[in-house]
Amino acid sequence: MKTIDIVLCGLGGQGILFMTKLLARTAMGKGLNVMGAETHGMAQRGGSVVSHLRLGETEGSLVRAGTADFLLSLEENEGYRNLSFLREGGSMYVNADPNNFPKEKVKGYLDGHEISHHSFSATEIAREMGAPKSVNLALLGFFTGLNGGAISYKELEKTIDKISPERLKDLNLSIFKAGYERANN
Amino acid sequence: MRQEILLGNGAIALGLVESGCQVVTSYPGTPSSEILPEVVRFVKSEKLNTYTEWSTNEKVAFDTAFAASITGKRAACCMKQVGLNVAADSLMSAAYLGNIGGLVIISCDDPGPHSSQTEQDTRFMARLAKVPVLDPSSPQEAREMVGLAFDISEEFEVPVILRPAIRVSHARQSISYDEIKSNNKRASFIKDPTRWAATPRFRLKLHGELNKKLKDIGRKFDTLSDYNFHNLELGKKYPLGIIAGGIPSAVIRDFLSEEERKDLPFLKIGTPYPFPEALAEEFTLACEKVLVIEETDTLIEYLLRDKDKVLGRLSGHVPLEGELVPKVIHKLISKVLEEMNLKPLNADDDNEVTNLVGDLQLPVRKPTLCPGCPHRTSFFAIKKAKPKAIFTSDIGCYTLGVNLGGVDTVLDMGAGITMAAGFYHSFNQDEVQQPIIATIGDSTFFHSGTAGLLSSVYNGARFILVILDNMITAMTGMQPTPALGIRADGSKGNTISLERIVAGCGVDFIEVVDPYDMGKMTKLLKKAADYVSDPGGGIAVVIARHPCVIAYKDEGVPEKKKVVVTDDCVECNICLEQFECPALYHDDELGRVNINREICVDCGECIQVCPKGAIVEA
Repeated sequence: MKTIDIVLCGLGGQGILFMTKLLARTAMGKGLNVMGAETHGMAQRGGSVVSHLRLGETEGSLVRAGTADFLLSLEENEGYRNLSFLREGGSMYVNADPNNFPKEKVKGYLDGHEISHHSFSATEIAREMGAPKSVNLALLGFFTGLNGGAISYKELEKTIDKISPERLKDLNLSIFKAGYERANN
Repeated sequence: MRQEILLGNGAIALGLVESGCQVVTSYPGTPSSEILPEVVRFVKSEKLNTYTEWSTNEKVAFDTAFAASITGKRAACCMKQVGLNVAADSLMSAAYLGNIGGLVIISCDDPGPHSSQTEQDTRFMARLAKVPVLDPSSPQEAREMVGLAFDISEEFEVPVILRPAIRVSHARQSISYDEIKSNNKRASFIKDPTRWAATPRFRLKLHGELNKKLKDIGRKFDTLSDYNFHNLELGKKYPLGIIAGGIPSAVIRDFLSEEERKDLPFLKIGTPYPFPEALAEEFTLACEKVLVIEETDTLIEYLLRDKDKVLGRLSGHVPLEGELVPKVIHKLISKVLEEMNLKPLNADDDNEVTNLVGDLQLPVRKPTLCPGCPHRTSFFAIKKAKPKAIFTSDIGCYTLGVNLGGVDTVLDMGAGITMAAGFYHSFNQDEVQQPIIATIGDSTFFHSGTAGLLSSVYNGARFILVILDNMITAMTGMQPTPALGIRADGSKGNTISLERIVAGCGVDFIEVVDPYDMGKMTKLLKKAADYVSDPGGGIAVVIARHPCVIAYKDEGVPEKKKVVVTDDCVECNICLEQFECPALYHDDELGRVNINREICVDCGECIQVCPKGAIVEA
């Protein structure tokens, strides 16, 4: 079976490691082997951060260029920067203003390679809900609404419920849900 | 049976406790930092008796583990590759003496480099010291190799190095494990001065014994088929074979199996030193050429006997620097196949997207100090007090002060102080009074600051030393420092006072300041500068003490100030360029600076920075 390859990106401090952990735990719960690669250390201090996640049988932890099924980006430019990871027919989910996304220059490439692109302002939702730092959860919710069942809303919700710290649990779940609902609008 | 998604460093920790390792020491450094905390986690969840400690530096960590091993216990020390330089003196000597209980050194490499000064290859350090080294390709293999390392180390009485590269240490993998039990082996030390205190005469004999051990271990490695193996078909000849170890071996195995390339045989070497000579020869004989793909340097390439057949870094087929990510490996194999007129790999032509992304001219995101970071305010005050000084600095988050113009030199741990002394003596020789301000973090000062400081005092150097005391080892993931008195397992230890160490080094000017008050700190630095240039003065030490805002969310920002930028902003960009808080940005629509609420921590420090008073509390 082919692996499901996911690349998550954004800027250090946006919570990419937590997002990766949630997806990884959920996949393991589904009985999939999980391999991944993360950025720690100096690069985490506000620089470009990329996480790789490979679900299924694999030796290597890094996703190869042109093979990722999904690209999730917490920031628009970082999404473009990591575009080369996506395969033909892959999908991207980006925290960006849908009125201006994707850039004209990129549109041709995405269409030409049948890459489906989804964007919404996760920043806005997180801010409205009083947790501006939870952009990651909003984007994850949005992703579950649009990924065709690779990782479902229910499955991920269970993981968030399980590993969120008690004081943040309700807030985390409601932001995750708000992102999901945005996907279905 | 339990299943967890472990970080590579967590899998290594699991390997340590499963192997009955009784003493684990470490000094944090990316990418090794999570090993010890993961050991602590297992010790707590499995109720084990393993002793753990954050040592003050890697040499201390090594020596402590070495002593434990010669009491018959299994012991390990964990560090990053440049940390092994600090422990190198111990390693070289310990290789000759050997050990009783297993001694495993875990030294994590950083090809890239992502978070290090160098891309040095620990496998060469193992070759230099003449100790075996194991090169895992995944978290699971790293876990198994920890057990192998202990077995080899005990059987042959020699320290063994495990070298995980960053993509092993910071990979994640689902891993299952059973119940883990404590090892209750008791310490005993049998005096034998000819070994444990060997003089040069005995060292010669020990060197001979070590050489013999290596020969025997090399033979053992030839048959260690779990870690060293190839897929040659008996009697068949091949135009090209690939030899790889570590992370590249995992990447290549994925390529070859995805593309079903049985025509390209593959030799994996998991134990590169002592080299499995016979196995390598068997493989090389069957191939006209062999392409060697290893991280980070040329160990396997050097150790292969038949140099005429070898393609790799020395022949220009593999890049001499940088990480071997899948894209790079794909490209270099493709090039070799093309040169040799062999069937190419499936196309991986991503020029279109590379050019497209290049055209977008995306902003380069360099790492910066976090919003609210007290180092930022320290550097702002330092630059204000002595803008023309030479700023020597050190290894830690505050290295990022380079963005603020507050860091002119970074060499290695402790060099902020020692290079300040070197600068002083060089200018002083010419009778030039050059102001010098050294910065060093609290943990780095404990690690290797004192020897430099007392030498500087002893030799009459003059400079200001600012100890950036954020009360934590921040860059590597918030490990406690000796000043906190909290130990690796969270228990209470003794607290060590920075002020008393500095005084003990012979410094008479010692002042503590909260860098959040930039005006006060600037004034204090000017006073310190007067002391440094006074004939009766000396080295002045300013301890800039404010908790890291990531480690101490509440104490870090004791008084929340919601700031806004008013229309008084004249877009002078001083706050953006000289203060460089990532929460401040130029809002093109508003035509002024604005605050990014997503990351602002409400410290209100930028209020002090704006010359027009346009940043105010709401």
